[in-house]
Amino acid sequence: MTRRVVIIGANAAGMEAASAARKKDRTAEITLVTQEKTSGYSRCGLPFVIGGQIPRFKDLIVYPPAYFKMLKLNLKTETKATAINTKGKVVTVINKNGATESLPYDSLIIATGADAFMPPIKGREKQGILSLRNIEDGEKILEKVQNGAKSAVIMGAGLIGLETGVAFIERGLKVTLVEMLPQILPAMLDADMAKLVQEHLQGKGMHILTEKPVEEFLGDDKVTAIIAGGEKIEADLFLSAFGVRANTKLAIDAGIPLGESRAIKTNSKMETDVPDVYAVGDCAEAPNLITHKAVCAQLGTIAVRHGKVAGANAAGSYSQLPGVLASAVTRLFDIEAGVTGLTEVVAKKAGIEVVKGAISSKTKADYYPGALPIKVKLIVEKESQRIIGAQIVGGEEVTQRINALSFAIQKGMTVRELAKADTAYAPPLNETWDPMVLAAEMILMRLR
Amino acid sequence: MVRVENYEVPENLYYSNDFAWIKVEGEKVRMGITDYAQKQLREIVYAELPDSGTELTQNEPYGTLESVKAVSDLVAALSGTIEEVNTEVQTQPELLNEDPYIKGWLVVVKPANLEAELNNLMDFDRAVEWHKNQGK
Repeated sequence: MTRRVVIIGANAAGMEAASAARKKDRTAEITLVTQEKTSGYSRCGLPFVIGGQIPRFKDLIVYPPAYFKMLKLNLKTETKATAINTKGKVVTVINKNGATESLPYDSLIIATGADAFMPPIKGREKQGILSLRNIEDGEKILEKVQNGAKSAVIMGAGLIGLETGVAFIERGLKVTLVEMLPQILPAMLDADMAKLVQEHLQGKGMHILTEKPVEEFLGDDKVTAIIAGGEKIEADLFLSAFGVRANTKLAIDAGIPLGESRAIKTNSKMETDVPDVYAVGDCAEAPNLITHKAVCAQLGTIAVRHGKVAGANAAGSYSQLPGVLASAVTRLFDIEAGVTGLTEVVAKKAGIEVVKGAISSKTKADYYPGALPIKVKLIVEKESQRIIGAQIVGGEEVTQRINALSFAIQKGMTVRELAKADTAYAPPLNETWDPMVLAAEMILMRLR
Repeated sequence: MVRVENYEVPENLYYSNDFAWIKVEGEKVRMGITDYAQKQLREIVYAELPDSGTELTQNEPYGTLESVKAVSDLVAALSGTIEEVNTEVQTQPELLNEDPYIKGWLVVVKPANLEAELNNLMDFDRAVEWHKNQGK
């Protein structure tokens, strides 16, 4: 009998799952359901349309309609899944005209994503608080910018907040960023590394206020100002970038359990606790490779890895996710920042005793014109001497170093081995001793 | 040859909605996939083609192309009998990416109903329009 695979969600995780399922089962009936008008586009690219580097939102579409036709994928856009009957194995959906439909499944993949989170702040019901999660959000923000907004307040100093803040400045807006915690990028970098990024952003004109929780939205119906840390800040545009929360309601209502990260609980095959139901992407958790604890890191790279594993399994094949390191990189104006594995703060919270090392170097030989600063920080577990985390901030060449260190961590490399690593060198490209290797040597000295 | 968006569309071919091209060569017809199709699939690593003598039916699948990214049926643009199979694309599937219209041909077919079935295909002008509408 033809296998029926239903996927709720049609972006990074859902599309990858659909492609993987098709590769394993050429005859399955694969149906994707999405609430959005547009499917198969890159959310990560949204800030760059606002910044103007990418001309149109539709340029972010990774999977055009032809792709669905080639892979024989059924797509239902502007359609919301309202209920899952896990006993009868049926998903109920409703389309924009209000018509309901029952979709029976043999395998179900939940890729409901995450939504922008708004803390319980006084006045949050007022109009005009924007967030950036999908193309419609992006269009609203861009319209405000193009209609003459002169200033913006961004609430939250995570990746979305900062990347959008950069985009606003590039569009000529005056940007004030407020963050409750004492540092920017608190989920990504340790304070010492975040400081380098903050100084760069301030140098480019971003007004950054840390340790300023948003206390109130002011204005009659529409927000005209906020109060943060007792200070009133007026602006034309307000972006809520407090973070995102996994969309788990559909799963909860269907009796599909959540895990300790409050995202949908999964095993290494991305199966939930309910037979033949998988969960992937921003709504699902997966174990951290180092702590082995379930995490919901909500990155595009993790979403596609979840999706590929779940899609294969849902189509009757076999695939496992080893776990995640939550490697991430970003570029903000002329500075790049990246992380892989645990930060010092997260490692200590997990009860891991660490030794750290950080090296400031240049991206080319010191004497070579155009050499830019770069700083590498390594975190090592004291007893095993294994590398468990790395952060890099620099003018260029950050991403592939993060990737190299991600491989090292995944393979359980010790700091002693990294100190002997056989790296390449040429004056226009890097320093004789790569800062990754020197940071390892610094840690070895501290371990003596 | 014209370029529509980022895709090559040669003159003198007919095109199907299923990303196939055909070239009428006297009594026979050569069949392949379009530049658009190979660009969607990306690096093709496997081409599963039937043997000579196999009967094809228009709009029915007759083989498979698999890439790192995806897998897609090959859908026959015409009905007929396969007279020749390009064994080179089986050993070197990258030819489909590098040269989809010349070296990357797939099969040569003796058509069963050429005149009537050509009406179901797009000529060059219509194919150019079709490619414009495939823009994201």
